[in-house]
Amino acid sequence: MNIAKQIKGLIQEAEIYSSQGLYIEAKGKYENAAGLFQKNKQLENSDNMLSVISKRISALGQKIKSLNGTGANHEISMKAQNLIKQLFSFSSEEHEEAAKLEGAIALAKFGQFERALKEFFELLRHDTVRVVAAKNILRCHVALSSLDAAVAQFQKWLTSDFFNSSELKRIRLFLQDMIDKKELNITLPEIRSDDKGSNQLHEKDDPDNVLDISSIGIIFDSGPRKGSIIEYDVSFQSGNMISLIISSKEKEWVDSLSIGHKLEDVQYYSPIAMFKGSGLVSSKTEIKSGPKRGDYCLDIKIISM
Amino acid sequence: MAIFNLKKREIECKIVYYGPGRCGKTTNLESIFKTYQKQITGEMVSINTEGDRTLFFDFLPLGLGKIRGCEIRAQLYTVPGQVRYSSTRKLVLRGVDGIIFVADSFKVRREKNMLSLKDLQKNLKEYGINILKIPLVMQYNKRDLAEEGLPLMSLEMMERDLNRQLKVPSFSASAITGDGVGETLQGCMKLTLEFLQKQLKWAE
Repeated sequence: MNIAKQIKGLIQEAEIYSSQGLYIEAKGKYENAAGLFQKNKQLENSDNMLSVISKRISALGQKIKSLNGTGANHEISMKAQNLIKQLFSFSSEEHEEAAKLEGAIALAKFGQFERALKEFFELLRHDTVRVVAAKNILRCHVALSSLDAAVAQFQKWLTSDFFNSSELKRIRLFLQDMIDKKELNITLPEIRSDDKGSNQLHEKDDPDNVLDISSIGIIFDSGPRKGSIIEYDVSFQSGNMISLIISSKEKEWVDSLSIGHKLEDVQYYSPIAMFKGSGLVSSKTEIKSGPKRGDYCLDIKIISM
Repeated sequence: MAIFNLKKREIECKIVYYGPGRCGKTTNLESIFKTYQKQITGEMVSINTEGDRTLFFDFLPLGLGKIRGCEIRAQLYTVPGQVRYSSTRKLVLRGVDGIIFVADSFKVRREKNMLSLKDLQKNLKEYGINILKIPLVMQYNKRDLAEEGLPLMSLEMMERDLNRQLKVPSFSASAITGDGVGETLQGCMKLTLEFLQKQLKWAE
């Protein structure tokens, strides 16, 4: 075949591949064309053509490089995240927690770690999935920042009494395995069954033995209001779980409370006495309808009193 | 796995478009979205794309009407074709009922087609699914480019490369013009519903 025609064919092919997004193939064809030009310097305008082709090869090289550097891990819209949750929850409606867990795992697998973290923290409330949720929280921390963040989260749980010792043992084993795989010289503290203080409420304790609490005072442990106290009437109590209605004016404070957050300094008022103790944020929900619309319902688990 | 609501007589099945990067999976869905407006039951969603490259997946819900007294709905998905998104492809494949393997007819993409088919087989196997047993059809895409004198593989060559062992129905198509797109989907739906009929006995 005539060399000029051959080169023309290669360039046309390269252009089509490029327009189809097949950059590697396009670059290959341009390189073939450049090779032919170099071997046939007598061809008309060969230096100019070589220069044009070199520029195209370089531009394609940049495109390939930029595509290889593109990650699928950036945050996508809330709507898209909701769709992922919906489409990748395979459990039936009767297994609501399992379906929610699958949705959260799918979010994490699609790199939506911030949203996944929120979902996993919500799932800590459910006994059937809380350990799996905790493990995934640690995974998300590792993906988002570092193993140190996961270790810090574990230490937080260790001191918060949110998990019982059997659950903590399973979570510890999981995290230690992650640490060992990274060959880091970190050993997590062993969990013993008697690790919890005697004045604390244990899972096995009968929640019915908890006194009726009529109101509580929470002392701010950080932020501009550090040291001041805020008091709320208890709207509902079931055993060691109390519910409070928080005004929408306190949105900033409510937002700062994550599920599992330990309130170190709480005053529990019963009809007979006031007790000092600590509590754990168990859930928070924005009230969507009725006269309290816009306010929040905050569930606090009494840890010690 | 298809959802069969016995009470409402509804079947919802999942169809996945699989294939190498840039083979035209998203273009297939776009073509269906344009052509079958009456059957579309929601919007076509492309989750996370970089330019026109799918990084996560595309999703299109379709209502196919009643077959033997049963309302049939299909959810169409595409996977990201680029090699490095293997874990995403596997995730999208979960619960699949039928597969359309979109092969690129360009000669230069011959190896990529074969690698992608191998990747499909591997991902299915990890879910305990045998590629020889799942409803699967082949689509040989970009056939329109032959008119532009571009080096395409012959259909015979593509059959030999990709379908010698599988022996599944195959369709030549041009997703960009819409030729063969509907036929491919119909072929896949036919196989999928026959398969589900054997499993669920919904039409008896």
